[in-house]
Amino acid sequence: MFDFIRGLAIIVAIFLIGGWLHTLGVPIPGGVLGLLLFYGALLTGALKLRWVDRAAGLFLRHMVLLFVPLTVGLMDLGPILSRQAVAILASLVVSFLAVLLTTGLLARWLLHPAAAETPEAGQ
Amino acid sequence: MTQLIANPVFSIALTVACYALALRLHHRWRWIPPVVVACIPIVAFLLLTHQPYAAYNRGGNLLTWCLGPATVALAVPMYRNGLALRSSLPRLALIVFIGSLVGMVTAGGTAWLLGAPLPVVMSTVPKSVTTPIAIEVCRQLHGIPQITIAMVILAGVLGASFGPFLLGLFGVWENRAVGAAIGASSHGIGTASLVRHSEMQATVSSWAMAAAGVFTSILGATFSIFLH
Repeated sequence: MFDFIRGLAIIVAIFLIGGWLHTLGVPIPGGVLGLLLFYGALLTGALKLRWVDRAAGLFLRHMVLLFVPLTVGLMDLGPILSRQAVAILASLVVSFLAVLLTTGLLARWLLHPAAAETPEAGQ
Repeated sequence: MTQLIANPVFSIALTVACYALALRLHHRWRWIPPVVVACIPIVAFLLLTHQPYAAYNRGGNLLTWCLGPATVALAVPMYRNGLALRSSLPRLALIVFIGSLVGMVTAGGTAWLLGAPLPVVMSTVPKSVTTPIAIEVCRQLHGIPQITIAMVILAGVLGASFGPFLLGLFGVWENRAVGAAIGASSHGIGTASLVRHSEMQATVSSWAMAAAGVFTSILGATFSIFLH
């Protein structure tokens, strides 16, 4: 329980720091700034993975709950959605295929099998 | 009734209950996206009781706020999976960066060519990345977050259902290449679908998904500066 609360406090504190940096003029959203700070702190060892593992796991497992309220807001957008359905769906399919194939083909070309590593390494 | 729904505790409890129900159904029928099932009873309730979305959202907003810390928490899988990929990371980052840029340009470009109004065009731009980051980028570009969310979920479902098959048609089979492509195009929903196939695919996908979110928000912020 202590682990969990400590992790929660660390994550919320980093988010608030990210939001504060954003208000100071860094154009990237506060959450993403927090992500980068947190990643940096884990890489340098300033924060230990075991301090934050459980709290982070809760956020990640139940992230879907957190975007339910915004999705419910679709109920007010019926008219614009039906008028723009073709553009939205076409944009979705074209862009999905473009990202999938660009990334997949570039990765096939640039990531050589000789450099393959095992997923367990370093854990 | 108006007082009840405007009480944040009530709308949060309603949302959590509907989410718990959706998880149970998702457990039974994997193809049902939990977010869709969770929303249906809430929307039905608001329509039947003639309550506006704004009243429900007084509590809903508190859950939406938690998307910020959830974004920060993405650093944990990114760090853990990054450890396993050490020497490939610079190349992987370059690949995901190019993929993210292509995704933003093709999404916005297609909607613009089809004559969609500017807020709709902007809403399509961040559609490849994980929901909390996509919403932030959408807001920064003055898009409509609900459209972005719908597209993000559909992109995830497309990738989870057809991604590996489509990649196979183009000769992309190698585990790390499949992982990078699914992570960059279909974020968490795509990544979750890979866990059952290959640990390496899921590891790369998880890292690529977080990296795509970071690159997309940096590109989005850059673009929004030019916009103003």
